[in-house]
Order: sequence, then C-alpha cells, then structure tokens
Amino acid sequence: MPPSAPPEAEILAVGRDLAAALPPASRNPVKQLDDKAMDMASQDAELRAALFRFVDVVPACHSLDDLARHLSGFLSEVDDRPPPLEAAVRMSHSRPGRAALGAAAAAGVKHMAHRFIVGETTRDAEGVMRSLWNDGVGTTVDLLGEATVTSAEADRYAARCRESLDGLVEVYRDLPERPILERDSAGPLPRANLSVKVSALTPLLRPDAPELGKRDAAGRLRDLLRHAKQLGAHLHIDMESYDSREAVTDLVLEVLSEVEFRDGPSAGVVLQAYLRDSPELCARIVDWARGSDRAHPLLVRLVKGAYWDHEVVDAKQHGWTPPVFEVKAESDRNFEALTRTLLKARPRLRVAVASHNLRSIAHALAASRALGAPDTDVEFQVLRGLGDPLQHALAARGLRVRTYAPVGDLVAGMAYLVRRLLENTSNESFLVEQASGRPIEELLAAP
Amino acid sequence: MSEFANEPILELRRAPHREALLEGMRAFTEQAIFRVPVWVGDGERHGEEIVSTDPGDPERVIATAASATADEAGEAVGAATRGFARWSATPAAKRAEILVRAAAWMRERRGELAALQVRECAKPWGEADADVCEAIDFLEYYARGAVALERGKPIFQVPGERNELRYAPRGVVAVVAPWNFPMAIPCGMVAAGLATGNAVVLKPAEQSPACGHAVVRALRESGVPADALGLLPGEGEAGQALVEHPDVHTIAFTGSGPVGLSILKAAAEPGRRHLKRVVAEMGGKNCVLVDSDADLDDAVPAVVQSAFLYAGQKCSAASRVLVHEAIADAFLERVAGAVEVLQVGQAETFGIDVPPVIEREAQERVQRYRDLARSGGHIAAEQLQGVPDRGWFVPPAVAADLPADSPVLGEEIFGPLLAVERVRDLDAAMDRVDELPFALTGGLFCRNPHTVDRVVRRSPVGNLYVNRSITGAMVGRQPFGGNRMSGTGTKAGGPDYLLHFVEPRVVSENTVRHGLVI
Repeated sequence: MPPSAPPEAEILAVGRDLAAALPPASRNPVKQLDDKAMDMASQDAELRAALFRFVDVVPACHSLDDLARHLSGFLSEVDDRPPPLEAAVRMSHSRPGRAALGAAAAAGVKHMAHRFIVGETTRDAEGVMRSLWNDGVGTTVDLLGEATVTSAEADRYAARCRESLDGLVEVYRDLPERPILERDSAGPLPRANLSVKVSALTPLLRPDAPELGKRDAAGRLRDLLRHAKQLGAHLHIDMESYDSREAVTDLVLEVLSEVEFRDGPSAGVVLQAYLRDSPELCARIVDWARGSDRAHPLLVRLVKGAYWDHEVVDAKQHGWTPPVFEVKAESDRNFEALTRTLLKARPRLRVAVASHNLRSIAHALAASRALGAPDTDVEFQVLRGLGDPLQHALAARGLRVRTYAPVGDLVAGMAYLVRRLLENTSNESFLVEQASGRPIEELLAAP
Repeated sequence: MSEFANEPILELRRAPHREALLEGMRAFTEQAIFRVPVWVGDGERHGEEIVSTDPGDPERVIATAASATADEAGEAVGAATRGFARWSATPAAKRAEILVRAAAWMRERRGELAALQVRECAKPWGEADADVCEAIDFLEYYARGAVALERGKPIFQVPGERNELRYAPRGVVAVVAPWNFPMAIPCGMVAAGLATGNAVVLKPAEQSPACGHAVVRALRESGVPADALGLLPGEGEAGQALVEHPDVHTIAFTGSGPVGLSILKAAAEPGRRHLKRVVAEMGGKNCVLVDSDADLDDAVPAVVQSAFLYAGQKCSAASRVLVHEAIADAFLERVAGAVEVLQVGQAETFGIDVPPVIEREAQERVQRYRDLARSGGHIAAEQLQGVPDRGWFVPPAVAADLPADSPVLGEEIFGPLLAVERVRDLDAAMDRVDELPFALTGGLFCRNPHTVDRVVRRSPVGNLYVNRSITGAMVGRQPFGGNRMSGTGTKAGGPDYLLHFVEPRVVSENTVRHGLVI
C-alpha cells in the first residue's frame, strides 16, 4: 500500500504556486502559427489525420513536387477544407504551384520538428543544452533513429550512443555549477544523461520470446553501461510498448545486478502508470532496489505512458483486454499512488516524476514534503517542445527539472514527432486543457 | 446467438500463457501415438499404412493412420448419402447449435490442439494457436451464416402471388484439405458443408491425419451424426475416388494448382443426376509492391514476416517484392539484414520464425529453387546459423538480380525463399504482377492516397493488403481466396461463401382464388 495522500489543500497550494511561476503565453509569432495549426487539427479529426499523414511521409518524399502531391492527396480526403487548405489543393494542380507548396510545407514541418527535436547530433544540440543548463534545467538525450531490424543497425545505434555519451561529457564539461541539478540527499548526480531504447539495441525483441531479445541486447547494453561508468554519465533505459516490457524489465534489472556495475554507472528505468499491472512492477522494482547494493540508487522515471493508442488498438484487434487503463482518470490516480510508493522507497531509489500535468506534479511535490524530504529529492522531467513553460516554472521554484531532449535527423525523428503532435492535439491532454483556459482549480482537482 | 467475434489468439507476450503451452506440450509428449482410423458411420478401420512424423525430428512418429482405399471412399460417400437425408432435414438452428458446441469443444482443448500442430506440422506456437482459433471462428461464423441463409433472401412480391427464394443443401460434400492450416482449413470447409445441411466426407492431407481426425472428433462428439461426417485419411487414391464418385455433389478443395486442376477436370464429368460444383483454393505467387515513399521501418519487417513465418508455407505468403528503384538499395540491405537474424529452429521453441518445412520432398523442392536463384541471379542473404541437422530445414534466403524468365519469379515455391526485384516505378511493378497466372494475395507499401487508389483498381488479387503484412486473414474480417489460376474466387470466411454449398430454389405460389387474393 502506498503512503496516504497529502491533504488536497496542500496539493492545491503547491499547484497554485507553480502556476504562478509559469511564464506568460509566448509572443513568438511563428510559435503562434504552430499553435494555430495545432488548434485547427485538434478540432477536426479529418484534418488532423491529413496533417499527421503528411508530416509522417515528409522525409520519404523525394522532391518538392512529390511532397506537394502527397499533401494534396491527403487534403483531398478532407471534406470541409478551410480556405487556406483549399488554396493549397488548387496550387497542387500546376507544377510551379506544387514546387511552391512543397517548399512551404517542407519549411513548416521542419520548423515544427525543431520545436521538439534539439538537433541532428548531440554536438548540434550543444547550444540548446548549455542555455538550458544556464536556466537551471538539465537534459536527458534520446537518440532518435529508424527501427532496428538488423544487427548492423543495432551496432550503429550502440555506437551512436557511445559517441553521444562522449559528446555529452564534452558539452557539460566547463559549465558552472548548478547544485540543484548535481546533487540530492543520496549523493552526486551526473550531468551527462542519456536515455536509450532496448528496441534499438537488438533486432530480436519478440513479444513471445523475451529471452531472445534480452540475450542479444545485453551485450550492447553492458558495453554502454561500461562506457557510462567510465565517463561518470547516467544511462537511462526507456520503456516502450507492452510487447517488450518483460524483456526490457528483466534485462535491465538483471544486468544492473551484475557485480561489474555495482559501483556505477548511475542508471534508471521507467515505470508507466497507464499500465494496469504497473503496481506489481513497481513493487518488483522497489524490492529489487532494496535488495541491491549498487552505489547509485536506481532512478525510476514515472510516466503516464506514451503508447496508449497503440496499446488499445493492438488489444482491440486481437480481442484482448488492453493492458492500459482506458479511462484517463484511472491512469492519473494510479500515477499518484505510484508516486507515493516510489517516494517512500527513497533513498534506495531515486524518483523522477515525468508529467506535464500540473496536478500530478503538485501532488508529487506535496507528497514528497509530507514524507519530510527536501524538494530536491524528487526530480521533474518534461518533454522538449511540450513542457517548455513548465520547465521554467519548476526551475524558477528551485526544483530539479530535466528535459527529455530528442536528437536526430528528420527521417529518424518523424515517428517521434507524429507521436508528440498527436499528444499535443489530443482533447484529453493536460496541455490542451490548460491552453483552453480552464480555471486552475479544475486543472488541479483530484482525478 | 450472440454476434460473431473472432476467437482471441493467446496473448503470448504474457509469460503464464507461454508456460501453460509448454506444460501442455510435456503432457502431450507423454501421450501415446495417435491412431487415425478410416471412420465411416460408426465403423472404424485402423491401420498403419500412413506414418505421420514430426518434420523437425522425422524419427518421431506422431500418428499412424489407415490409408483409405477407393472402396472405402465409396462406402463413405454411401454412408454420407444416407446421412444426408436426416441431417438436411435438421433445422439450421439445430445444426448451428452443434457447430457452436464443436467450437466450444475446441476452445476447451486449445493448448492440446496447438501442441498437436506443433508436432505434426511443425507450426510454431503462435501460428498453431492462431490456426485453432481460426477453426473455431469458421464454426461460429458459418453457424450464424447458415441460420441467416435458411431464411432465404427477399425478392419482389405483387398481389396474388407469393414468391420465395430459399437455399437447400446440395448433397454430399467431399473435402480435400491441406496440411499447412491443418485444422482451420479442413474445419472451415467441413463446417460450411455441415452448416448448410450437407453431409461431408473429409480427406485430410496425408501429412496431417491426426489434425484432421481432431476436427472430425470435435464435430462428432458435439452431435453431428456419424453418417453425416466421415473421415478418410489417405493419399491420392482415396482423394481421387472421392472426387470422381457420382454421388458427390460439391468438392471443396484447398491445395496445389495441379491437383486443383485435375479435380476441376474430374468434376466436369456429371454426377449421377447433377452437375458437380468445385470450390477450389490453389496456389499463388504473391507479390508485395514497395513504392518510393514507403516507410521501410514498417515495410521491411512486414515483408520478412509475410515471406518467412512458418517457413513461407502459407498460400498467402509473400514470394516476390517489387521495389521502387529510388529505395531499392536501402530496402534490400535492410531485408538482407533482417533475414540474417531470422531464428531457424524447432517449432516448439518460442521465438522461432522459420521451422522445418513439412517433408523431405518440400525440402528438396525449395533447395532446387535456391540453386536456380543462385545460378540465375544471386542469393543476397541467407540465415545458416542455428539450422538443426535433423529435420526438414531449409535456410531462409533472399534472391536478387534474377532474369525475368526465372522460375523463381514465376512458380510457386512454398518455402522460405523471397525474390526481390527493382522496378522503375509502380506501373512497371503492376505490369509484372499482371503477367502472372496467379492472383491470390498481394501487398502494397505506399503512402500517397492517389497511388493506393490506382493500385487497388488495377490489382487482380483476391486479397490485397496495404501497408501491412499480407498473411493472417481473419474470418469475417478478410474473407479469403484467390482469382485467376489461384482459385474459384470463393471467399472463405466471408458473407458469400456458404452460397457455394447450397442450391437456390424459388417457389411462386398463386394466392388468387375465384378472383380474390387469399
């Protein structure tokens, strides 16, 4: 059983205080244009589908003409086209029109991508990461890439991770001290922080044979852990869809138990609160952490989960009960219960609360305080491009905040971008609700 | 009856389900060898003329079966003719109830039945489980369909006459079934015949008599009268005698092209007082088209799965890929790499992609095509690791740069060999597809909606899959069957399938008497 919840009044007070620290709405006209497109998309399902199908195909188009043909193809399936899109379809009827349309659309998508992806390589992202650090914000870098279907691709991804670890150490080497980002009660925290995906470390992740993927990924993961240990960097292993959950969980807990990694590196896992069986996994992780003699407490990043649509569709197609809660409030409630269970398990593990939901964040901070811990014994994580105002508010309040910063080219980044856009236009999204001007009391109400 | 829903396959990503199957396999292995009789009416004749072995371990005998003679085929048709009288008079709702009970019989034994397929046909667990589910689906789906069909279909009415369109069973159905879907396909064809009130004689493939036996047991133990359903394990002789029998009305066949054609010829000879009807599903040469805008992250795994799962031994499996030259190099490199990590091994091991092929002849046949691929073009990739030295294994391979007239590009191989061709554009690809005599399944990876429309309009295949794998048709969702030389265009698991097992009868009754409509 998790410890009891902090009083609602506390949560509300913390939430109001954070809300007050949010910067005023951006006046950047380009960003407003972005928001306008998002807004249009979230109101019209057909348009949303057309927009996402287009964004998705951009990197696979071989010319501006090709790009424009795709765009007009998707738009022609939208019944009620707003005037600017009607104009776009008309433009696509001539070759020069297509060239102009293709160029404009490509620029639009590129711009949108830059909002969510910090650079093509870790080195390209140096400026962004340094300026975030100066603002009191850390990062964890995620290397976007194509799916791994061959051993060569797994090797290439692992090599990119190694290089990225090296690059991160360089990026953060000479930066001034930021004590909040660099230490908590359990000890020092590495500046360089990389998130990796097991599905990219092996082509052999099979839902019905977790051993296979585990065995194949283990060698590459060990190599990365060794490298991170040598550099003093943090390595975080992401969680993906339910199909790979058993393999990823077993792999990480087994490899981190190996004697070789007792003294490092700092490492972490992810717990997805939208999973119905996440309380069991949480208990397993807590037990593992209690029994572990690792020098660095395991960092557990608690998320709602990013594959909700996939999980529901996949389950429905197979006639299965979805492994995820189907009502959002259930995920939110579970998130709070898991937050308290994890916070209680400190200092054998560290907790990172990764959510853009002000209520979830306020609850976590209030719960941490109720347990008598200093605020910096809980970390907050946000996504680049979605959580920017939030990250500034958290930093302004002296909290430790880390931005999940994807790095990669447009081709590799498209799947990620589409997921983020979907999230950003979902009517259930906290950010959309927040943008719609709902009163703070409602936003902070218990789920 | 509740609305039809597909039987959910096991969620094998959850460990307890996997453990249950493995536990079931341990129990299965301790069992005695299956004995499959010629089962006509209440009479069983046992024999050991047919020995069914594990393709992954040919020393291991799974079942012995009697091999039906031509005389026994005649007896079976005789019994069915007698059984037809009573079964056809049974209301559709009652027949449906029995079929649904048979579905429940199978549902209770899903693990056992899957284990039998793993052993007798070397079907990997996931595929074996899906096959059992499909068999259940056919029972449930046709049961409902036959009840609806019994009501007839609405036709125009005017005052003074009553018009009715009804469907009556045709008589005796001979089912000649393959080994690759060793329960689903025989069960589907048998269920269609029985649901509509026909009597059925099943000849299962000689490679999978025990699986065929299980289907007949399910139905008989659920209430199908003994003389309405007979089992004739056997080889070509029994099958031939069956289809040539003058008292057989309908022949439902799934198997190779040459056998299908010989059945169609034999069926041209009229029956005793009727014309025979043939429902045939034959071979394919299934092509996947990959356009320049395809997402290779999706296309590569889907193509590899479509071509190599169950060692490519599905009528729907991908055999050729025609890929746009703009992305052909990247595609071939990734497919090659994906093939090099395919898991070759015994079907009972979770995670195995490529089990052995069904028998020595199949191994030799695929080997011949591999040799042809090597001499005419080249093998771009193959997976030789982990190939056991016992069992009818063939390493999965990708062939490229084949000449246009290569048999590898024109003939059905039915094994783990995929040919990749580079094309100028999709029109060139469609021209090549159009040259083929086959039209079973096809695939398209493309994200331009206009292009998708164009391919859909021009594609001759029975089942076209867009941006997904091309195998795994689901009952009720992807009615399945081929056109051209691939089959008679009948769609198993679809709303029209049962019409092939019935004859339409129209009754027009005069309802005017003394000038009054009564």
